[in-house]
Amino acid sequence: MFSYKFQWNQAFARLPQMLDGALITMQIAILSMVLGILLAIVLTVFRRSGSRVLSGIATSWVEIARNTPALFQIYMAHFGVATFGIHFNPFTSLLIGITFNNAGYLAENFRGALKAIPETQTRAGRSLGMTSNQAFGYIMLPQMLRIAFLPMTNQMVWAILMTSLGVTVGMSTDLYGVTQALNALTFRTFELFALAGVVFYVIVKLIQFAARLIAMRLFRY
Amino acid sequence: MKHWNALAAIAVAVACLSTPAHADKLDDIISSGTLRCAVVLDFPPMGSRDADNNPIGFDVDYCNDLAKALGVTAEIVETPFPERIPALMSGQVDVGVASTSDTLERAKTVGFSVPYFAFEMVVTASDKSGIKSFDDMKGKTVGATAGTFEAIALEKQVTEWGAGEFRPYQTQADVFLALSQGQLDATVSTSTVAQANVKTGNYPGIAVVGKAPFDIDYVALFTNRDEYGFINYLNLFVNQQVRTGRYAELFEKWVGGEVPSLTVPNAYR
Repeated sequence: MFSYKFQWNQAFARLPQMLDGALITMQIAILSMVLGILLAIVLTVFRRSGSRVLSGIATSWVEIARNTPALFQIYMAHFGVATFGIHFNPFTSLLIGITFNNAGYLAENFRGALKAIPETQTRAGRSLGMTSNQAFGYIMLPQMLRIAFLPMTNQMVWAILMTSLGVTVGMSTDLYGVTQALNALTFRTFELFALAGVVFYVIVKLIQFAARLIAMRLFRY
Repeated sequence: MKHWNALAAIAVAVACLSTPAHADKLDDIISSGTLRCAVVLDFPPMGSRDADNNPIGFDVDYCNDLAKALGVTAEIVETPFPERIPALMSGQVDVGVASTSDTLERAKTVGFSVPYFAFEMVVTASDKSGIKSFDDMKGKTVGATAGTFEAIALEKQVTEWGAGEFRPYQTQADVFLALSQGQLDATVSTSTVAQANVKTGNYPGIAVVGKAPFDIDYVALFTNRDEYGFINYLNLFVNQQVRTGRYAELFEKWVGGEVPSLTVPNAYR
């Protein structure tokens, strides 16, 4: 049934274009992670604030981010908001979509990490004269980020892979977008997508390797 | 001894009858009784779905005609543009009746029949953009359906202009949605598709403003590159569709207007 002659040189000839795309993919993933972590900290603070409005906002964010497909979130960041007259270009839409997803998942990771820190530490801080905010900022937050480090790497990998959903909002410069454009041009579907898969794999492996190096420093106690 | 000779002769005869020398795709289709066509159902009037979700359109009718000619039943396999080749190569479909442009680059991978349809390209713009012609698109945000002839040509044009932005969307519907939302200023699409979409009224604030100076987009049926027998049949089938007037009839039914010529002047094929 499968009658197809693989012509790998046809795909390798396009590798430089795909690697340019890989850089854009990394760029989006890293930006979305940085923004996602900041937002997740804000959401965590919201949840602990005791204000019903703030914790309501945080809870709805986490619920939507975790319980709907990333594709839906990215699509909404492009076509959804456009119905209200707000227009983002594909890069921004994809970045917003992935950041939204990252923040939701990371907020949940942070919540778990906070639970792992004994409550007595806050009390110890308070008894030393720290305010509640100081105790959170100086004692809880650094430990929370360290405990949540491995889940954060996980989310980073997920962010890289999620960039491939950008094609649904017209993204054409990232790794997956470039691959799809080349596929339309040449119909060398299998070679091109296999190569893209390998590039994705290598990127993710590099991230995991970097994370392990950081973890070695971080967990050396 | 005589017995053995006779037995051997029978054995050889049986072997010959039960295993034909080489069953090609044409044989496979005839013996399976089903012709599986890859059709894009997001591309009116060539392929779409009616209110009852049944596939309709020029390509759907064309597939049915082909199946009728072969004496088998047609099976329409919905195939988005980017998935035409995987569907063929993995054996999920026998032939693509999917408005596929017969570029030389693609012909290195799949086998094309002679053209069975020809598109002219037009510019559709949103009213707000103020675009009145193809050249007005310079510097604007334009888009088209990823993987189509016009998308490839338009992206090249935007690169040549060195200004503006090109966005490929996954489906024709997304392109027109983005256009009517104002995310895109203009798009280039086949005239048939543009008119069909503007006519639906689903996308307010857009209009066909003029022709795009791209080559005529000839589209062909495609199958595996090495299936000469089947490609030969497809060529004759396309020819017969024109000869019998069925092509003109289908064109009138789905598109209307002047029937485009499928031959290139001063060329052999």
